[in-house]
Amino acid sequence: MTFGVRLERVRAGYGQGDVLHDVSLDVAAGESLALLGANGAGKTTLARLLIGLVRPSAGRVTVGDWDVSGRRPDELARRVGYVFQHADHQLFARTVRDDVAFGPRCLGLPGDGVAAALEELGLSRVAGAHPYDLPAPARKLVTLAGVLAMGAGVLVLDEPTAGFDHESRELVVAALRRRIESGVTAVVVSHDLAFVAEAAERIVVMREGAIATDRRARDMLRDEDALHALGLGPPPAAALGLRLALSGSPVRIAECVAALRGARWTAPAV
Amino acid sequence: MKPIVRLVDAAFAYPACEAPALADLSLDVRRGEVTAVTGPVGAGASTLLLVAAGFAPRLTGGTLTGTREILAARPGIVFATPWTQLTGLSRTVADEVAFGPASHGRPPAAVRAAARRAMDQLGVAHLAARDPATLSGGELQSVVVASALALEPDLLVLDDPAAELDPAGADALYALLGALAVTGVAVLVATQDLERAARIAQRAILLEAGRVVADGPAAATLTGTDAALIARAAGCPAPLPLDVDALVERLAR
Amino acid sequence: MIGYAAGRSPLHRAHPYTPLAAASAVLLLAFAVSTPGAVGVVVLAAVALALLGDATGAIVRPMLVLVLPTWALLLVLHGILGGDPHLVLGPVTLSEPGVRRALVLGGRVTAIVIAFLTALATVSPPRLVEAMTARGVPFGRIFLLVSSLTLVPRMRARAVQILDAQQSRGLRIGGSAAARVRALVPLVLPLVLGALAEVEEQVLALDARGAASGARRTALDPPRDTLGERLVRMALIMAVLMAYAAKFMGRGA
Ligand SMILES: Nc1ncnc2c1ncn2[C@@H]1O[C@H](COP(=O)(O)OP(=O)(O)O)[C@@H](O)[C@H]1O
Ligand SMILES: [Mg+2]
Repeated sequence: MTFGVRLERVRAGYGQGDVLHDVSLDVAAGESLALLGANGAGKTTLARLLIGLVRPSAGRVTVGDWDVSGRRPDELARRVGYVFQHADHQLFARTVRDDVAFGPRCLGLPGDGVAAALEELGLSRVAGAHPYDLPAPARKLVTLAGVLAMGAGVLVLDEPTAGFDHESRELVVAALRRRIESGVTAVVVSHDLAFVAEAAERIVVMREGAIATDRRARDMLRDEDALHALGLGPPPAAALGLRLALSGSPVRIAECVAALRGARWTAPAV
Repeated sequence: MKPIVRLVDAAFAYPACEAPALADLSLDVRRGEVTAVTGPVGAGASTLLLVAAGFAPRLTGGTLTGTREILAARPGIVFATPWTQLTGLSRTVADEVAFGPASHGRPPAAVRAAARRAMDQLGVAHLAARDPATLSGGELQSVVVASALALEPDLLVLDDPAAELDPAGADALYALLGALAVTGVAVLVATQDLERAARIAQRAILLEAGRVVADGPAAATLTGTDAALIARAAGCPAPLPLDVDALVERLAR
Repeated sequence: MIGYAAGRSPLHRAHPYTPLAAASAVLLLAFAVSTPGAVGVVVLAAVALALLGDATGAIVRPMLVLVLPTWALLLVLHGILGGDPHLVLGPVTLSEPGVRRALVLGGRVTAIVIAFLTALATVSPPRLVEAMTARGVPFGRIFLLVSSLTLVPRMRARAVQILDAQQSRGLRIGGSAAARVRALVPLVLPLVLGALAEVEEQVLALDARGAASGARRTALDPPRDTLGERLVRMALIMAVLMAYAAKFMGRGA
């Protein structure tokens, strides 16, 4: 089952004053959206609204036909899988396997998703380890596995690749693409434009608690002026596509490689 | 000048772990240089920083063998997990950043000035009056780096200090690290952000499974950038170009 | 809540030592007296302290949780099992010396609980750190004291975090009392382990900021101590000394 996500004129904050001002956003079922924006722009606050850990002070948030205000996080968890920005705030079991199994168990799902999620993110080898004995990026992968194993129709991932090496990022991209292809809706907070290029179809940029830009990812990542205005630049694959006017307007690494295939190379100048 | 940190044939194992986290490690960290450390997740970069800054095994436990010489008078260290690095004893960000220089017993005016300067350098002066426990992830990371800078360290060791910063903030932080090295600070930074590291690092160390597999000029060592990956996949012969400009240069017209 | 609750009462604005001295005085006085009437006076003094600190709202719940079971236990233990003479109150018969004993013990516990909850609610931990720093107390001791004073709020914050994590993965919390208790099971272990991990991390974080440098810490913003407050604390000490003098002389006579 998959669901769209909708925010209608939402305000939200932490007591003194609003952090989100009148935010409206409509994410269609099966769409993959990247949420960008400067530190403190309100991305995490928006993400937490979708799982009910932050409550709107005005406006409405819906996931499919559910209004989130009437529902506790554990009910919303049937539809929304949320990965926290800080892995350590999400992990609590004594082994990686137990932690990943926690969600499926609470939701009464069959356990076979657990092994599959561990395998998918390359964690099978460390399934018996204590999560805190793993390096920080690996702990983040564990939280992601825990959420993937829940099989939710909407994935909300808060900076899922911060500090990742290339291989780990590829694992996340692949896992996410598989979900998106099967119709899952994804909302991904990220500063990593190379990752965004691989994983998202649409980009929303937040600024000071409001939505500043909302465009197709492919267009946005190739619009240097728009990116520079936001303190951003095109990721390497898109930059190469622009610089070399490559065919097919590549923004992803594989697209760029395909467009360069057959190119002739020179020795480096010394 | 003598290196500020010198490791010769060092090996380190965490307590209750038979396999060493680092082995056969020889390396110098010099004043006035940015040294980048990278490698796959789990290769040992974070451990290397703990050893180089003198935190392991002193506070982590475990055993270190081989030679280690640390000449730093005021080491500053930033761990990879910003949310574990607050003192928990400060009411405001300004007090949090001032904690380090206050520990060293400097006069109040000097402490305040060091804290103010560090907050300005990290662009967090506007957060000075906030409760540190309520910051967003990226704000917190900036505050934690500012707290280390306020120590006015001669050796600055940072574990992926820009992982949660927005791109403009990450650019500014790397530029700042480069500028600090110019003033004579020894900077040792573990990172996966090879593009930014390549801009400022004089030297880079590549680790794999706890061992150094490459140690040399950054341009020759940081060969895992996206541009390099694209070039390799598209058939470019070594040495691989590390950034977009270099890749464009290498294409025959 | 057991812990600091921001406010503007005279106790909140006082030097942190004053509420702590008042609470300690209540503790010592409670043990200096041994008649129900005198213990009642000490309880009233503790209540007056809570009113002065504008803390009644903040402390009433933990106070009842700590005190009511004590009263129930004492009344059963001494009232029913105590010696003669017995009083007949409707359907129950109570031992008169037993009830007196229960009143004294229960009153002491009540006074002490009220006084210390008030002190915890009105002494801001960062201000206490500054106050002790200004007096030259070694940081290690400050840290031990303040970490124990803030234990409950920190555990609570951590519990909220774990519950958020578990709920967002489908753990149902609430509903029947049995369901609530069942929800506690997966919470307790991570809470304890998390608290241990947190201590380790905080030690690293503090060390990274030079907390172990051995220098005398700079107090940046030490709370003001007035002559009036010093006199109050002196008076409290005198009252305690006099109470004990009376107690022992009374016994001697
Ligand atoms: N618990 C909190 N209490 C008060 N303010 C908060 C809290 N969490 C975040 N904020 C503030 O709200 C704003 C948005 O934060 P957040 O949504 O976390 O930003 P980001 O876009 O970096 O994820 C920031 O200014 C942040 O300081
Ligand atoms: Mg965030």
